[in-house]
Amino acid sequence: MLASYIFYAWWDWRFLGLIAFSTLVDFIVGRQLHKVSNINNRKVLLILSLTCNLGLLGFFKYYNFFIESWMDAWALFGISMDVDTLKIILPVGISFYTFQTLSYTIDVYRNKLEPTSDFIQFAAYVSFFPQLVAGPIERAKNLLPQFNKSRVFDSQFALSGFYLIIWGLFKKVVVADNCAFFVNQIFDGAGSYSSMELFMGALLFGFQIYGDFSGYSDIAIGVARLFGFSLKVNFAFPYFSRDIAEFWRRWHISLSTWFRDYLYIPLGGSRGSLLSQLRNVAIVFLVSGLWHGANWTFIIWGGIHSLLFLPLLMTKTNRIFVDDNRLHFRQLFKIMITFVLVSLAWIYFRADTVLNANNMIVDIFSFNSCSLSLFHTTSKSLLFSMIIGVSLIVLLLFEYNAIQKNHKEVRLSSYSAIFIALLIAFMGVFKNPADFIYFQF
Amino acid sequence: MLVFLKKIGFILSGFLLLSFLISYGSLWLLRQSHFYKPAYLANGVVQKQFDYIVLGASTGLTTIDTELIDSELDVKGINLAVDDTSLPSQYLMLQHFLAEGKQTDYCILAPNPTNYTTKHDDISDNDYRFLMYIDRPYVYDHFKNFTGFRAHALTLSRWLPTIGVSYYNAEVFYPSLLSVLSPERRNRFDINGNYTYPNYKTPSRPIENFENFPIDFTNNYLKKIKALCQLHDITLICYISPMEGKKAAFDDTEYLIIDHSDVLKDSRYFHDMIHVNTLGRDKASRQLTIDFNKYIITEQ
Repeated sequence: MLASYIFYAWWDWRFLGLIAFSTLVDFIVGRQLHKVSNINNRKVLLILSLTCNLGLLGFFKYYNFFIESWMDAWALFGISMDVDTLKIILPVGISFYTFQTLSYTIDVYRNKLEPTSDFIQFAAYVSFFPQLVAGPIERAKNLLPQFNKSRVFDSQFALSGFYLIIWGLFKKVVVADNCAFFVNQIFDGAGSYSSMELFMGALLFGFQIYGDFSGYSDIAIGVARLFGFSLKVNFAFPYFSRDIAEFWRRWHISLSTWFRDYLYIPLGGSRGSLLSQLRNVAIVFLVSGLWHGANWTFIIWGGIHSLLFLPLLMTKTNRIFVDDNRLHFRQLFKIMITFVLVSLAWIYFRADTVLNANNMIVDIFSFNSCSLSLFHTTSKSLLFSMIIGVSLIVLLLFEYNAIQKNHKEVRLSSYSAIFIALLIAFMGVFKNPADFIYFQF
Repeated sequence: MLVFLKKIGFILSGFLLLSFLISYGSLWLLRQSHFYKPAYLANGVVQKQFDYIVLGASTGLTTIDTELIDSELDVKGINLAVDDTSLPSQYLMLQHFLAEGKQTDYCILAPNPTNYTTKHDDISDNDYRFLMYIDRPYVYDHFKNFTGFRAHALTLSRWLPTIGVSYYNAEVFYPSLLSVLSPERRNRFDINGNYTYPNYKTPSRPIENFENFPIDFTNNYLKKIKALCQLHDITLICYISPMEGKKAAFDDTEYLIIDHSDVLKDSRYFHDMIHVNTLGRDKASRQLTIDFNKYIITEQ
């Protein structure tokens, strides 16, 4: 716990109080829920926890967004409102640890989990440093008992963690950060690029955010394994998905399952009429979009995914690949279509404003030019293009191999670990590395 | 635990060994090439005795056309200016020039004009271009003078070249591969070491007002450059390159100065505020030819 708090304080010690407060509230609420059997009193305790946690999250992350949206809404009717916004620093990882601590309280409330009586253990669970700032969002049922377990060093387990760290570094430093070179140029000056360059920008951002976020998850899981902790798999080769439903079973799994368990199912889940199912899915995607950031771009991104998902739900084809993990060459077209749709939706995720994203989409579909000169006119851009090409081939080959072997993660051998480490050393971006994208959430 | 340590040990030593070989090979290749100026000076410049050399940053690189000066004055010079460098790097280049057994009568120093006044020097963005000479004491000492990650990465490369080559992989590793295919390829400079910015269609706009630009020639490395020049009987001339709408303002100084900060009086000569285009380079170099010749005549 102490190590985790020092880790967090390294970024900004002033926000340690927030984690401590959330931890204290949920620890006390958890203990009280265990003692109280009256349903109304239990509800009050749950509401107390939800109010404290979501209140903090709402204030730090969404205050300005809601104020500005409120003013914009009135402005539509010609009424000008002048409410001051605040200069609020977003505490890193707040979205992640808030959801983690909430899941504990809700599980205790639902009697699915025995609350812990060990405050240090609980505080260590909420602030566990490998996954504190960007997930995976752990469940108490999985992580909490591990703090009390006597830890015997398991060489194979630790080694698998070490390999995951190397693989995660490759995804972040080689794949994501090299893609960022073009992505930043394209998204910062979208108006001056051809349709094909903009389209490539969207595809590359797809790889950038995947390399960035899943790379972090791999490193977090790997570091945890070195300490003897097992964290949940957060990404399961999402760009090999054959439809959007499968994509969401493979992408940011800890968040998707969180929303499934704590929002979708309480809303009614797949029970009830088709209309209510559609409503539930749409709500989950929109809230998921809002979770990512206080901007309409994220909400629209969530909305697009719900629009892509709903037809599958309506035709009851959203689960056809649930048990079918083996890929066939004839499915390549489906994989590519899914990837392109996901990438086009990423435009809203990456763009600063909805207007910019709209313009980019319009420019892509205006098919004004097939020029790809951005990627080869200077020696530097040609170099980055080649590095990205090689890194994506390596990424996809290793992932394809893992899928074919029915592995949940890329498993390196000693030799392939050396190979990947060499790629990191000679293809990685070290001089101007990009921040982890998900740190802002 | 032992199994884990053995595996980690194997992976780390395999990585270190291979990355060392690759990095060492990369630096060796660059050292044989003409790609960056330090290596070009060693491999591509046969001449030992020069009438003058130009040291400096992008201002010196793109303003002074040594080919024009050579033809006008019947002298032989070479432009050793490197973009994105400051006076410490220019001191290093002078050391490198001398270490290569070359000599010159004059050294025209043409840094970014602000550098003359800089109080706290730092490592320059393009100092990695000396990385292939990290085994030489003056290069190692240069990097050792500075703090920060970049300086440490370059310093440590003396023992573990992987650090520097990996950190600067786009600038060192890939050019070294390129130099296998084309050993005489130069990185944005011609056979005389010159480079020029193209003439964009900058509209002609006379510059009438020149704002004062104070310079005090107090930089520590300027003193070091002067001392090294004196030691080798080289006459140091501090050149102040043209700036758009600015005029250098300085008191009497111990240094020989050619102040051309305000010689270009039209925007069409400029690429940006402190860099000239090809048109500006021609005009500035002709003016420099005249003023430089005065020093030559005086000494004769």
